[in-house]
Order: sequence, then C-alpha cells, then structure tokens
Amino acid sequence: MSYIEVDRVSKSFGERVAMNKLSLHIERSERLVLFGPSGCGKTTVLRLLAGLEIPEQGSIRIDGRVVASAGKNLVPPEKRDLGMVFQDLALWPHMTVQQNLMFGLNARRVQKREAEARVREMLQRVGLEHRIDAKSHQLSGGEQQRVALARALVSRPSILLMDEPLSSLDDERKRAIASDLLGLQSQFGFTLIYVTHDRSEADMLASRVCQMRDGRVV
Amino acid sequence: MGRTVRTENIVLWLCIALVAIAGLVPIVVMAVESVRHNGHFTLDHYRELISSARFRPLFGNSIQLALATTTVCGLIGVPAGILFAKSDLSLRSGFMWLLTVPLVLPPYFVALGWARVVARIGTIASDWLFGFGGCVLVLSSVFLPITMLLTFASILNVDRRFEEAARLVSGWPGVLRRVTLPLSAPGIVFSIVLVFLLAMGELSVPSFLRYPTLPVLSFTQFAASYNFGAATAAAVPLAAIAFVGVLVESAFLRDRDYTFRSTGQTLFISLRHWKSPLAALTAALCFALVILPLSALFADAFSPAAMHEAMQRAGASVVRSVMYSAVAATILMALGFLLGHFMRGGRQRVLSAFTLALYTAQYCAVTTRLSLAGLMLIPTSLDEAGRLSGAMWARRLFRISIPLSTRTLVCAWLAAYILCLRDVPIALMTAPPGGDPLRARILTLMANGAPPMIASLCLIMAIASLIPLAILTRVIPSRGIIE
Repeated sequence: MSYIEVDRVSKSFGERVAMNKLSLHIERSERLVLFGPSGCGKTTVLRLLAGLEIPEQGSIRIDGRVVASAGKNLVPPEKRDLGMVFQDLALWPHMTVQQNLMFGLNARRVQKREAEARVREMLQRVGLEHRIDAKSHQLSGGEQQRVALARALVSRPSILLMDEPLSSLDDERKRAIASDLLGLQSQFGFTLIYVTHDRSEADMLASRVCQMRDGRVV
Repeated sequence: MGRTVRTENIVLWLCIALVAIAGLVPIVVMAVESVRHNGHFTLDHYRELISSARFRPLFGNSIQLALATTTVCGLIGVPAGILFAKSDLSLRSGFMWLLTVPLVLPPYFVALGWARVVARIGTIASDWLFGFGGCVLVLSSVFLPITMLLTFASILNVDRRFEEAARLVSGWPGVLRRVTLPLSAPGIVFSIVLVFLLAMGELSVPSFLRYPTLPVLSFTQFAASYNFGAATAAAVPLAAIAFVGVLVESAFLRDRDYTFRSTGQTLFISLRHWKSPLAALTAALCFALVILPLSALFADAFSPAAMHEAMQRAGASVVRSVMYSAVAATILMALGFLLGHFMRGGRQRVLSAFTLALYTAQYCAVTTRLSLAGLMLIPTSLDEAGRLSGAMWARRLFRISIPLSTRTLVCAWLAAYILCLRDVPIALMTAPPGGDPLRARILTLMANGAPPMIASLCLIMAIASLIPLAILTRVIPSRGIIE
C-alpha cells in the first residue's frame, strides 16, 4: 500500500471537468512533480489532497486512512498533517513573519517556548532570522517565498504541497530556493508534491515526474 | 503630463472644497454662533449649558444610548454578518435583506410600530418602551444592518487564499479569530464607529420615545426657543465626541489597508447540526426586530379612506422627497467616487486630513468608502497601462475607471438615495414651511393625525424607500462560495 493513494477521483467546476477518474500513488518521502500545461488539473490535485476541495467521485487515502471519498471530506484540512505553499504564497498581511509561523503552532497547541524555538530554527534554516518582525509587504519576492516555505514546514508536516511557488522568480533565485528545499526535505523527510509547468523546476526537484493533461496522468 | 497633473489637482481640490463647505463650514459657523451674543464674543451659552442641571444627565444619556446601541449592534450584527457571508444557513439571503428593512426607513417608523405593539400589551410595556430600553431596542434594530452589512461585505472581500492557508493548520474558530476577522477589521470598526456616531446624533427616536438627550435639547433650543447660540453650544459636545470617534477609527486603521488579489469568493463553513437552531434563532430575530413592529405599524394602513386622506395630506411632499434624495444621491455618488478614486491613486495623505469633513458631510463618507472598496478590486495596472498609452487623467477616469465601476456606482447611488430619503433631522432643520419632504411631514402630522392615516403615510414612504432596496438586492451579487 502506498503512502498516498488517489483512486479514480473526479472533480468538475460547473461545466469544466478539472479531473477525470485520476489515480495516483505516492510513496513516503518521495519527491513527486506534477508537470503539465495550465488548466490541466495540477492545482486541483493539490487542493483535493489538502482538503480544500471535495472529490465528486473516487477516494483519497493518506497513510492508510481514507481522508475523502465521493462528496465527503472525512478528515478536515487541519487534521491531515500537511503543509502547503500557495502559488501567490498567501502570507497573512496583518501578521509579522514570526506571527505567520506561530499561527499553526499555536493552533496545534505547541508550548510557547518550544514554538518560539522552532520558529527561530526554521527562520535560521531559510536565512531569514533577521526579518522575524517584518510584515509580508516589507519583504522582497525571494524572502516572501522563503517565509511561505518556512511557514509550511514549521509544524513539521509529513507532506508538503507546493503550487508553482517559484514561477515568479529568476533562475538564480529558483536554484537557490530549490537547493534549500532539497536540503529541508532530506532533513525532515517529508513527502513533497510539487506542481509546475516549468520543465527545469521539475528536473531540479523531482525523484519522479508525472505528466498531466486534461485532468489525467498521461 | 503637466496638463494631466493640473486637471487631476484641480478636480481633487474642488472635491475637497465641496466636502469642506458641506462638512466643515457648518461646524465652524456653529462654533462661532455658540460664542456670539448680540454681535459680541461671549461664553455665556457654554456657561449656561454646563451650569444647567440638565446638561450632565443629557450628555450622559446620549453617551449611554450610543454605547448601548453600538454594543447591541456589534454583538448581533457582526456574528450575523459572518453567518450570512460564510455559512450554509438556510434562507440566509432572505434573512439578511429582511433585517436590512429598518435601515432604509426613517428611524421613527420602528418606534411608531413598537408604540402600536405595546399599546396592545399594557402600561408596563409602554413604560419600558418610552425610555432608555425602548430607545436602545429601536435604534439597535435600525442600525443593526450597518454592522451586519459592512461585516458581510468586508468578509466577502477577504482573499480566500489566506483562509485556505490557515485552514491547513487550524479549525474554523481559529481561522475566523486570527485571519478572517483581523483582515475584515477595517470595515467592521468603521461600521461600529458609524453606528456610535449615528446613535449619538439621533433625534427623532429619543424625541418620540421621550428619552432626553443632547440632540433633543439642541433641536428644542433651535426650533422651539429660537435660541441659536444655546442650540449650537449644546451640539458642540456631540461634535467633539464625533471627532474623537473619527480619530480612534483613523488610529486603528493605520497600517491596516489590505489589498486582496482575489475577492468575492469565500470559503464556507458547514453548520451541520447547528443549521436548524441557528435558522430558528435568526427567524426569531427577524420577527422581533422587523416583522412585529412594522406589521403593527402598517396594520391600519390599507383602508381606502385612510389611504385617500394620506394621499391628500402627502401632496407634493412625496415628489419632493424622491427628487431631493435623487439629486443629493447623484452629487454624493459623484463626489464619493472621485474621492475614492483619488484615495486609490495614492492621494490618501491629502484626503486623510479631511476625514472629519467627510464624516461631518455625513453620507459622503459612505459613498467614498463604498467607491473605494469597489475601486480596490480593480488592478492598478489597468490605469497604469492607460497612462503608458498616453491617456490623460480624465480620459482614464471616464474610459477605464468608471466603466469598470458601474456596479459600484449604482450601489453608491442607491445607498446614498436610501440614506437621504430616510434622513429626518436635516429635513426638519432645512425644509421651508409647506416645502417639507414626506418624512418630516409625517413626523409633524403624528401629533394630531388619525393613526390609520399616519399608517398609510408611513406605507407610502416605505414603498418609496423599499423600491431602491429591492433594486439593490438585484445589483449586489450573491456571494460566491468555494466548497
């Protein structure tokens, strides 16, 4: 049995079919890149795994537990033990970098002292400990990417979902963040599911690449 | 380029001058009048006011009434706004518009309705209504829609990505508390300050329910005693409180000007087993605050004789009401849109200095806020692209901003029209004899008119007010839901 199993999942938005009986198996600590043109359903896969969308047909199983099946979210997003870096990063603008990272730890009732230590450690790991009190609009594009990555990882999830997070960066910054990401993955051992339409990003990060087209893996 | 800047600046300063004339000049004149007697400087009006045994209780009553009304509106309106914006509550749209009805009617209609209700219950209920409790009940049901609608709109504007990011690590209570509400706070705080100021300045309800407040004293000095100095002196403490309220709001909103990339589609909360109890609770609220008083008010309105007399008594005042409100709404919409446009274009600092004038020009603050909220949804790059293609400011305004803001403009016009149509104090103060609009005429006829005729007049007024509300329900899009 694989760590993540997506079994014949379908999802439509009105008339548009985003996913058509898609099946996908992902192993623990794998680095899977979903690669394909815009609108092929890559982001929908991530959102279904995260619990932000509900499948119309089929089921999703994570670590042996059915988390969603036809029309029902059986496990809410916050209980799925995953982190996500959104395409537009979605850093909360009213919070500082520290507060952005603390939010998830507070929600999981991590002791304050331990939470602060984990935030400092994670910011150190992404080279942003000096920006701890900055708000998102005071950060550069690259810094925002790293804060989003740190926020997704600070609660030490088993799965990290990334939705084209590097698409707005130049090649040099892309390589730097991809290298950081690989280092973090080998340190924490999370399963990485990464969505991109950029072949070079896929080559940099993947241990396996799945090509998608019209809501199916081809 | 030079010409562009000049045109923009001329229009900007013209708008500021208009708002200053409408908002600040009356305050200045009022302040000057309050320190003049027979052409000489004097502080006698203030001395008399402060030493008067009535001043402190009246001032205290005004503050207490405003605080209690604001508290009730905040405690009910904010959760109601959240519920209607984010949950799968049955009939939520119908409930929301039903609760909005008292806002579009002159405030004393609800008081009149409650008076009819308590007349059937007995003396104890009547004693309670004609006092502090009754005033809070009536003003809360009248101003509740402000906190509810602004909370609803602010929450719909929050970018759902921020909530999605929070949902990955937290349940809904944590997401609402730490993400949704802080990001909606500017709109919610604005609504609370607005309710406080409106409740504190309200004249017709405390006057009808015989609860003594400073606005009632000021109006009595003005209209009955013709003592303008004493009337303005009594109004100055209210203006000072309003000023403090605006300062508090401005301080709170500093650094909280959030721009969202995608708005209008919200993540929804499934109420599950709470769905039926909450629907029943909301229905009970609608019945208690809207259906009960208004059905009591309109119960006698439909007899042909009463309707005939009402039509005769109303005369041209119906046309005047609609015409004045329509003209005022058009001016307010244009002014509000231009001010919102300047704020969006980075002239916030210049305009911040005129915040008080915006508030004192009352409804201009509403149209400006509505326009700004709509304009924030249009990417600045669209205007920048127009600028790069060589279009002057006026051309960009008429060819880009206005066509993209049609819905915003319609909403601003309708909101201004409703607010002008229901306004009582301005109508009472400014209308010449025989030239009064309907809401002022009803108030004067209430003293000696037959109740069925008054009910019919109220019904005519309600129809004139509810037509734009019905249009608004069609213009404002229902929320988009991401399930």
